[in-house]
Amino acid sequence: MGLEQMGVFKIENLTYYYPSSQKPALCEINLTVEEGEFLLVVGGSGSGKSSLARLLAGLIPGFYGGRIGGRLYYRGEEVLRGKGGIPPGEVGIVFQDPEKQLVMTEVEAEIAFGLENLNLELGEMRRRVAETAGFLGLGSLLGANVAGLSGGQKQKLALASVLAMQPRVLVLDEPTSQLDPACAEEFFNLVRRLNEEMNVTVVLIEQRLERCYHLADRVVLLEAGRVLVQGAPGEVARWQAENGFPFLPPVASLFAHLGFSRPPLTVKEGRAALGSLSVRQGERAEQVPPAAGPSPARSLKKAGPAPFKALLEMKKVWFAYPGSREEALRGVSLEVQPGELVAVLGENAAGKTTLLKLAAGLIKPGRGNVTVAGRDTKELLPHQLAGKVGYLSQNPGEYLLQETVEGELLFTLASLGREDDGRVAYILEELELKTLCRTHPRDLSSGERQRAALAAVLVAGPELLLLDEPTRGLDCRLKSRLGELLCRIAQKGTAVLLVTHDVEFAAEYAGRVVMLFHGRIAADGPAKTVLSSSFFYAPQISRLLQGRAGEPVVTFREAFALLQSLLKTPVPAGILP
Amino acid sequence: MVLALVFLHPLYLAALTLGTFLAVWSAGGLKTWGIYLRFAFPLALLLVAVNLLANRSGETVIWLSPPLPVAGRLAFTLEALCYGAAMAVRLVCVTGVFCLYSSSVHPDRLLGFFSGLAWRSALTTALAARLYPAMVSSLYSIREALQTRGVNFDGGSAVERAKNYSFVLRALLFCSLEDSLQLAEAMQARAFGSGRRSSYRREEMRPRDWLVLAGCALSGTAALAGFFTGWGSFSYYPRLDSISLGGPEALQLALVSAGVVLPAAAGWGWNKWEFLRSKI
Repeated sequence: MGLEQMGVFKIENLTYYYPSSQKPALCEINLTVEEGEFLLVVGGSGSGKSSLARLLAGLIPGFYGGRIGGRLYYRGEEVLRGKGGIPPGEVGIVFQDPEKQLVMTEVEAEIAFGLENLNLELGEMRRRVAETAGFLGLGSLLGANVAGLSGGQKQKLALASVLAMQPRVLVLDEPTSQLDPACAEEFFNLVRRLNEEMNVTVVLIEQRLERCYHLADRVVLLEAGRVLVQGAPGEVARWQAENGFPFLPPVASLFAHLGFSRPPLTVKEGRAALGSLSVRQGERAEQVPPAAGPSPARSLKKAGPAPFKALLEMKKVWFAYPGSREEALRGVSLEVQPGELVAVLGENAAGKTTLLKLAAGLIKPGRGNVTVAGRDTKELLPHQLAGKVGYLSQNPGEYLLQETVEGELLFTLASLGREDDGRVAYILEELELKTLCRTHPRDLSSGERQRAALAAVLVAGPELLLLDEPTRGLDCRLKSRLGELLCRIAQKGTAVLLVTHDVEFAAEYAGRVVMLFHGRIAADGPAKTVLSSSFFYAPQISRLLQGRAGEPVVTFREAFALLQSLLKTPVPAGILP
Repeated sequence: MVLALVFLHPLYLAALTLGTFLAVWSAGGLKTWGIYLRFAFPLALLLVAVNLLANRSGETVIWLSPPLPVAGRLAFTLEALCYGAAMAVRLVCVTGVFCLYSSSVHPDRLLGFFSGLAWRSALTTALAARLYPAMVSSLYSIREALQTRGVNFDGGSAVERAKNYSFVLRALLFCSLEDSLQLAEAMQARAFGSGRRSSYRREEMRPRDWLVLAGCALSGTAALAGFFTGWGSFSYYPRLDSISLGGPEALQLALVSAGVVLPAAAGWGWNKWEFLRSKI
């Protein structure tokens, strides 16, 4: 059978179980990946996306073990039962966290690591290292220490170390989840060049679809380990809209829900589609029907100046880490009031995490003051702020050390010297963890871990909740649930300050946005104003409707209501996601 | 470093220390040496003091203490003072050599150089060097996470603190195991363990590298000659030998010094002299 008929990969009736699991991670998969194709795999957490990536990269069953049935062909050869398997270096994979896939301490040695494993000649290795570093713009960093690179540079290095092996297929498992919007954009531009100019077959798994959905030749939707639908991006977008699936970029989702049979996939296409509508210039956003009004968190800001005293107050805060010549924060002043949901956006290494740590009292300002509920954090030890301030770092794994999920919540209460007055059950219920309360936290999926760690923080009933990248690794549904939960928490009077790279999440749920660049606050104001006036940090919805409506529109609901009223076409009730 | 441990003659030690100073300076490591010396100086002073107090082999008494209980009258000798000072200079010189090593040798490159011979050990060491700072950072993050959940690491009894740190270690163990699995997966994905392996060497021998090697060879050969002929030997006890050197000894010292200074001169030329830079 020729390669044209077989594709690069052909999967037939493949079912796979991880060791000691009774539930299949992949179930009766039938899929072909064509030579030179850009395949996008979407789906919820636990749908089998990463398992599919590992299968294609030869890590399943090779690295993981487990039970497998069905057939997997690579370039016409059966590789599961065949002798050779996938030839080393033919398929490269880049994982989510660059920190956990880099082996060496120096950039050049890191790029060469895979080449050494392929037993290449020194001259060939030197040529490939030089070419790859040049292509990815890492030439000036060849002698640099890996630990000193930024997040974006590390992920680019991870890509370089795979590309140097000159793979025919590149598998990317959520490679931009830790990158700021600008770095993510740059990363996808590189991937597109590789696919279009170097004929590298790309299999991309991604949750933030606004930057990559339109790049794909084909989209595959997985659910519970099965392929639900596959086809051209537009077709899959329409199918998802009709069947209530949310794995779409905001623009496509908006038009699909408005009943467009061919929903646009990019802002450009969306604006072209809008051009055909009778959008009246100068239309006021106040005309948006009240039923589809702003999200709950925003209503607090709508009510006018908050009547509360600031819960968190930072005054001209400067901070430099020991041994560093550069300040991480430079004269930052910020107030957060009870009931506010504030999102902090900014590039990698802008000082966002430092800001949260200062607010949590974990580090003290060099100059300036940080007060929480009127008390200067310089006078308090971190544990003395616990209970009043809840802090969830980027890695929820750091919070999981007990035998059960319920044990994590009880541990927090015990550390604070409190009794369980029914709060544990309430929080478990609120975060949909009740069925998992006896499960070992390390056996949970990434989304469940995030919720378990958040529960361990929330059980203390903090007045100020600090979250560092809480949407990392969460799918659209989980993000939506998290957003709604945070809005409910804020409505009850808790101040929420979260750091995120997810502009769409910030637009949808935050009432206020702070933009931090190079340790300084570049913008601070209502989410609508800050995001709509930003060029690179504007959400898709805002870009779509820029100049089309009198008042800036940044959320899905506002845009839906506006366009629905303009279309004057009745849309079935309950269609809103 | 070997020369500093072989020679006891004050002039040789002074020459070696001066050569080390120049090499560290040309490698831009003086600041780091300063940090090393903050720890080394008290130790050096302690060496002098202990030797002065404990050594009774010298004959030139410079001060006799009043009668002390148990110890009686202590005699401080010129020989013990000089020997202690020589040991102190030797310590300063050795710290300078370590500083020079850390300023001018990248551990990855050194390991890469030897990876052709023992690549498994080289890789394990490189991995440890890469993961150790990450583990320390993870330890601090876990501690912070626990502090924000109300765990007190700053007070309480020793038992309570030990118990609290056991939580940190437990979480660290879990996280490290998970991280190591992910790293192993990434390594296998990059064909690690797929068969024979080659070695990527980046090191190229340039004239300045040959100059450094030549310097080491010169001082090493001269020192070896001295070792067998007895030149450069110096006795501190019971009385100090004469510090003056005979003709062959002075020549040997000049050769050792020239060999030690050569790397520093090459480094200086590379940094400051455009013409020399273009030639080496």
